[in-house]
Amino acid sequence: MMGYSMELAWHGLRRYPKTTALAVLTVAIGLAASMTTMALLHMLSADPLPGRSQHLYLAWFDAVQAKSQTYKSLDNDWSTYDYKRLKTADAEALLAAHKGVLQAAVADLDAQMASDQREPSNEHVLATSSDFIPMFGVALRDGRPWTAAEDAARAPVAVIDTELAQKLFGTTKAIGQVVQIKHHPFRVIGISQPYAPQPHFYGLNAWAYSGSDRESIFVPFGAAVDAGLASSSTDGCDDVTEKSKQFIAIDPIHCEWLAEWVQLDTAQDVAAYRSFLEHSAQQQENSLASYGKKPQWQLLSVQQWLTLQNVIPDNVRLNVMLAGSFLLLCMVNVAGLLAAKFMRRGAEVGIRRALGASRRAVMLHHLLEAGMVCLLGGVLAWPLTLLGLSLLRMQDQGFTDLARLDVAMFAGLFALALGVGVLVGLVPSWRVSLVQPGLQVKSA
Amino acid sequence: MDIRPILFTLRRHKLTCCLLILQIAFTCAIVCNTIFLISQRIGRINTPSGIAEAELVYVQMANIGSHADAKARVAEDLAALRSVPGVTSATLLSELPFDYGSNNMDVRTDPAQRMPTLSATQYFGENAVKTLGVQIVEGRDLQPEEYVYLSDVFKLLAQKQFDKLPAATLITRDMAERLWPGQDPLGKRFYVGQGLPFTVVGVMANLIRPGQGRLEVGAQYSTVWPVRQTMEEGGSFLIRCAPQDRDRVLRTAVDKLKALDPDRIVLDKGTMEQHRRDFFQNDRAMVGILAGVCIALLIVTALGIVGLASFWVAQRNHSIGVRRALGATRGNILQYFQTENFLLTTMGIGLGMVLAYGINLFLIMHYELPRLPAVYFPVGAILLWCLGQAAVLGPALRAAAVPPVVATRSV
Repeated sequence: MMGYSMELAWHGLRRYPKTTALAVLTVAIGLAASMTTMALLHMLSADPLPGRSQHLYLAWFDAVQAKSQTYKSLDNDWSTYDYKRLKTADAEALLAAHKGVLQAAVADLDAQMASDQREPSNEHVLATSSDFIPMFGVALRDGRPWTAAEDAARAPVAVIDTELAQKLFGTTKAIGQVVQIKHHPFRVIGISQPYAPQPHFYGLNAWAYSGSDRESIFVPFGAAVDAGLASSSTDGCDDVTEKSKQFIAIDPIHCEWLAEWVQLDTAQDVAAYRSFLEHSAQQQENSLASYGKKPQWQLLSVQQWLTLQNVIPDNVRLNVMLAGSFLLLCMVNVAGLLAAKFMRRGAEVGIRRALGASRRAVMLHHLLEAGMVCLLGGVLAWPLTLLGLSLLRMQDQGFTDLARLDVAMFAGLFALALGVGVLVGLVPSWRVSLVQPGLQVKSA
Repeated sequence: MDIRPILFTLRRHKLTCCLLILQIAFTCAIVCNTIFLISQRIGRINTPSGIAEAELVYVQMANIGSHADAKARVAEDLAALRSVPGVTSATLLSELPFDYGSNNMDVRTDPAQRMPTLSATQYFGENAVKTLGVQIVEGRDLQPEEYVYLSDVFKLLAQKQFDKLPAATLITRDMAERLWPGQDPLGKRFYVGQGLPFTVVGVMANLIRPGQGRLEVGAQYSTVWPVRQTMEEGGSFLIRCAPQDRDRVLRTAVDKLKALDPDRIVLDKGTMEQHRRDFFQNDRAMVGILAGVCIALLIVTALGIVGLASFWVAQRNHSIGVRRALGATRGNILQYFQTENFLLTTMGIGLGMVLAYGINLFLIMHYELPRLPAVYFPVGAILLWCLGQAAVLGPALRAAAVPPVVATRSV
């Protein structure tokens, strides 16, 4: 029966080719619009470091000796940042405790960089500690990461990526060369592959998504401070110096600027770290009390952190909704067209029913026909989606570079097309299956 | 025209009618809201800046090392820029209009006030008003002898010598109106930080506040201070010249600045017009997407109406012939289909208005959008009526062309 219904459906498709083409085109446009926006959302909500990110946690406790500054001002903007960063001493204390499998303090800085051969340029610097490279899976092409001993000695060493090496030295074989950061020499000890997880979850204060921005050089944070690099933003400063209040150069001793990430492999590790962090926070109780604050601490997984920071731009969600409602409209439209088309053959269906075709057979035939329309629409939607995505990539909104159609979304497109087909066909097919046997023969 | 026979016929096509009404309702709801979103974005893009946009170029630089004689350096830089032929004015400005971020301060009209009245941006830079081309509508510009260096301001703050801080400031008309509605702002005081008083000496017509998120909350809330900067504190060189000289002036300026001190790099440079374009890049992209969606929606709906009407015309071929044979004119037949479409569209619009309001409520809750103005409802309705009439015209004309002789043929 299936084969026969298929054949009938195929015939039905070709009966009114103009209407069929209209329906297919409408479905295709609706599907393409939805898939374009959903593919972007899918890419933006992807796991930044598959296989690693579920073990990474951001650790924070409050140690700022000042009144709480996080009030909402009138124009609805947080008057201070809240990226859960720490002051240098507290970050160093957490590193020294070695309570995680691996741990690293991280800060994104900007610096002008030069080699002996080349013009200076502005680069993003990741000031961090020795565990970062193994912990975050930065792939080294050559050389070695720096050691904990070099961290402690504040050694001016650097790991640079292949593209910066090419830019500064004209070759990727740059081990032993010297990079000038603000006229301070840093010896290159490692060459890495360009590293740019999306979203940029460990430095959301710098950027969240970018096709072009990435840290091209990694240095020990102590050596970065010695070279005069300073963070351009802070989450809060001790109420001790006037200097710490300035927005020009953040004082690393009294201001929060380093984010502490830890790797915790098991649930026991997480629980143990939580109690350790709580203990660290409790130790601040007396000093915070004079500023009217209670001890605060947080241990956040990557997913919790991304949700808290609301990294996916509102526009992207709005576009998905817009495209979704557009698809809905296209579906109603096609359902209307199919209903009219199906009912036009009321007389035929009446004869088929009189000759013994069951209601189910009639419904199946028409559902298949609707399904075929939508599958054809899906096939046509594929190139349209690719076109939509390339249009999206042409817009320079930072994150739009990431708009791609991966395998999962490609499968999603056809699942959606089939789902749409069944939904669209359901009501018209049901209506046409209600046609009474024989009655229609008379009226014609 | 009697609509009862039309309604009677439509009742025989309940399903298709409902689908068409639903489609028109969706279109109406989405189009009303999308046009509203577009108008919001266009409003943003057209925000007046109050500055001589066509006459300005800027250069943003960063030092590689630090300099001991930063004040002498900036004086020398500015003198060099002013000596470039065609340059009428130049300054080192703390932030540029149409920058992505901005420095803002909370402003109170009474030091004891718990919540600030508003937040406003601070422009620092000698000659800022003249270089930007801002129009002063009341009071006076800042005088050269009033200016102090930002580094000295920080020193005074650290030593708590608040009385030595410069007290004169310029504010915009919008800001004055918000702080002291209906009063003369000249000579009035406002309070910043821990209650430091500052006096308004002049009112500017308009001066846009930088920062992407700041336009919705007081686009013109800007102040200008008698404060000079050095390159240590960041900032950009802003140069004013005739529009046709901009490219040449910019090139010469960069060369001169680099020659004076090679130990710094250019972070950004360009014309103010291009800076404005970049600032609104996302808004323009969004307008494009929304307009595209709108047009696609209307086309799909129009095609749906054409498709359905064509089917009905073909289906009723025989009865149209009968009506014609019984004396109905072509005009009657045309009118029949037009009225039928009008009735369906009207029902769709009625439902669509309710939906549009619902979508708007949802957007207000989740995206902090303002309420949909009532004017969008009649505009949306007229748009869809026209669309419906235009779409049905083709099939209706075909129906009107059916000759009476069809009635005599059997199917």
